Amino acid sequence: MVRGMVVSLSMPVLVLAIAVAASYEGAPRVTSDSPEYCSSLAARVAVMPAARREPSKSLAAEGVKLCGSGYPRAGIAKLRRAVKAAQVEP
Amino acid sequence: MLKERVAKRPKDETMRILLVEDDAEVARFVKKGLQEAGHNVEHASNGRDGLFLAASEQFDMLVLDRMLPGGVDGVRLVETLRSQGNRTPVLFLSALSGVDEKVKGLKAGGDDYLTKPFAFAELLARVEALGRRPSVDAPATKLRVADLELDLLSRNVTRAGKRIDVQPREFRLLEHLMRHAGQVVTRTMLLEKVWDYHFDPQTNVIDVHVSRLRQKLDKGFDKPLIHTVRNAGYMIRAEP
Amino acid sequence: MPDDSPPALAPPALPPGVRRPRFAESGPGAPPRLLKSAGFRFAVVFAAMFTSAAIALVAVLWWATAGALDRQTDAAIRADAVALGERWREGSGSGLAEAIEERLAVDIENEAIYLLVETATMKKLAGNLDRWPAEAEATNWFRTRVSHDGFEVEARLHRVELPGLRLLVGRDETEREMLRHLLTEGVIWASGAVVFFALVGAWLVRAVLQARMRPAFVTTAAIAGGDLSSRVALSGREDEFDRLAQTLNTMLDRIGTLMAGVRGVSDAIAHDLRTPIARARGKLEEALGTARDEEALRAVIEEGISDLDNISRIFQALLRIAEAEAGARRAAFGPFDLRPVLADAGELYEASAEARGQMLEVSLPDPLEMVGDRDLLLQAVANLLDNAIKFTPAGGTVRLAARRHAQAITVSVADDGPGLAPEDRSHAGERFFRADRSRATPGSGLGLSLVLAVAHLHGGALLLEDAKPGAAQPGLKAVLQLPLP
Repeated sequence: MVRGMVVSLSMPVLVLAIAVAASYEGAPRVTSDSPEYCSSLAARVAVMPAARREPSKSLAAEGVKLCGSGYPRAGIAKLRRAVKAAQVEP
Repeated sequence: MLKERVAKRPKDETMRILLVEDDAEVARFVKKGLQEAGHNVEHASNGRDGLFLAASEQFDMLVLDRMLPGGVDGVRLVETLRSQGNRTPVLFLSALSGVDEKVKGLKAGGDDYLTKPFAFAELLARVEALGRRPSVDAPATKLRVADLELDLLSRNVTRAGKRIDVQPREFRLLEHLMRHAGQVVTRTMLLEKVWDYHFDPQTNVIDVHVSRLRQKLDKGFDKPLIHTVRNAGYMIRAEP
Repeated sequence: MPDDSPPALAPPALPPGVRRPRFAESGPGAPPRLLKSAGFRFAVVFAAMFTSAAIALVAVLWWATAGALDRQTDAAIRADAVALGERWREGSGSGLAEAIEERLAVDIENEAIYLLVETATMKKLAGNLDRWPAEAEATNWFRTRVSHDGFEVEARLHRVELPGLRLLVGRDETEREMLRHLLTEGVIWASGAVVFFALVGAWLVRAVLQARMRPAFVTTAAIAGGDLSSRVALSGREDEFDRLAQTLNTMLDRIGTLMAGVRGVSDAIAHDLRTPIARARGKLEEALGTARDEEALRAVIEEGISDLDNISRIFQALLRIAEAEAGARRAAFGPFDLRPVLADAGELYEASAEARGQMLEVSLPDPLEMVGDRDLLLQAVANLLDNAIKFTPAGGTVRLAARRHAQAITVSVADDGPGLAPEDRSHAGERFFRADRSRATPGSGLGLSLVLAVAHLHGGALLLEDAKPGAAQPGLKAVLQLPLP
């Protein structure tokens, strides 16, 4: 609530922030929700030996499909599950 | 009867009495009676004047009404006097007869309490009993009236040398009469002092005791010592 | 010099906010205004306690939930940081980076945040944060806002300094934020409920108090208005209010008795003193007309004085009886031994008995400790002895005896006279009652009346029975019962 008040009071600063855009204003961003990360996860899964077994295989496939269809977050979640499944010793 | 006593009153027994009473009729009656009994009487009709007189002059006795006008009532008057160190004996007259009122009056410093209406003889008897100055000699171990002798140590009663048998209560009765020899002692006073009770018997219980004592004392002697004072009480005295 | 003081004008104004009370609302019987109402004050106290308890509850809840979450998160971060430290020791920078990526790859809950940078260049080596946050410089444990999944959320972060490297380990605190919002909402609703219940409670408590006190108000108002027979209604619940009502009623009954007593005395004085006063007056008036000489006049005047004394004595006795009946002297009760009192009474009347040729026997075997009024009891016993001696013939015996029983002390006076017929016994206590046979004897007829009053004052009773049942002259035995506490 207090933060909201502070934000609204600094309207001119905000305008300036928007003008400057990108770069160093705004909060740090978590990067593990982007399509780029999706690809790097997919690559990681691919080189894991246990990834050819179920359930990793189908989870990975679904994950990649979701990433490709424009749902990077859902895809990342599936890929992570695939990695996890692949870590478990058979 | 009173006139006789006036003629015989010794000089040192005359008292200077202050009467503080607002009712004019009662005041007149009391003042006259006390004067006829041979005493000097000053009168104040309200508490303030009474207090002023009592504090500034010497009196042997104060007779006060409890209910007085003027802001200073009898009780306050006595309290003030006592707080000033004034030890003059005080007799209260009051229409308030309850025990609490009596206690209040006596606690304030009064010495005796008489309720209205009262018999003048009672008032006189109590005034004289209170006002009698204590004797300057050592406390007596023997009391004497004419040829009657009371030995307080051995509890013996002798008349003209002859021993008379009396019961303990009769002894106390005789002792009281003799301590107030020459003064009237009323029945109520005897009941209070000898029996230590405060009520008014409807009949003549005290009379019977006194007459029994009198018989014992006077048997075989020609001079009676205990006299009945009509409408008043009793007195022990040498002269008839 | 002009007078500067303002002239005295209208009466001083009331302080602002104080309303002049409406007439109907003041006076006996009306409940107090809200602010003065004790019921309202009780309810305010209750509401304050309730609110404090609620606040305490919320504080505990917060600590237990959000606090627990915080502690859990910090513990996880700490453990993570320690483990990562281990990996760095084993495999230095690259090993650490690989460890971070591994963790991110299996972060199914999507809440881990890592950032590994070179200290010198601040170049990102591993992790999922795009920038080193400014808050990391101030402390090594901090919270900051991060953009996650398109939303701005709070994150808890821990900075670890390694040689040449700087590491941030953290967690997303979305859950915590959600909980805080929930709790805040809950608290706001709860506060509303508290205020509502407090107001309702205040109103209820005040209403209940007023309702319970209403009977007392109504009754006292009625009595103040003159209806002395009014009594407080009981609710039957036997609670504190009923007890108060009962006490009030007892007090009112007592007042009623006292007032009846006062009326009784006025009646007695009015009716029964008129006769002796009339007699005395008659005698004096007669003497005015018929007296022959000064001697005769003197005699009549003396008789007049004696009559007046007698009337005075009757009056005094009446007052004493009324005093005893009203219980006014109960306050003067004290502990004492009745035995010497009775012995003295016996001794007092023994002379009178002897003078009439009677015997007075006194039997007092037991110790008689009791609490009461010594003077009144003496007078009561004296009256009984007086009567007994009066009615006993010459040669007869009067017996005074007292016994201590388990629950009471009994004092009995028995005579040898004609006794009292049973039908007269119930009247014996009435003032001025004289049984036919005794009308000729002296006395005012108040004796037994006083004895009865004294007996009642001490919570006891007076019994009249035959001293020798069946005999021709049964005699009267008067028994005074005095209960022991």
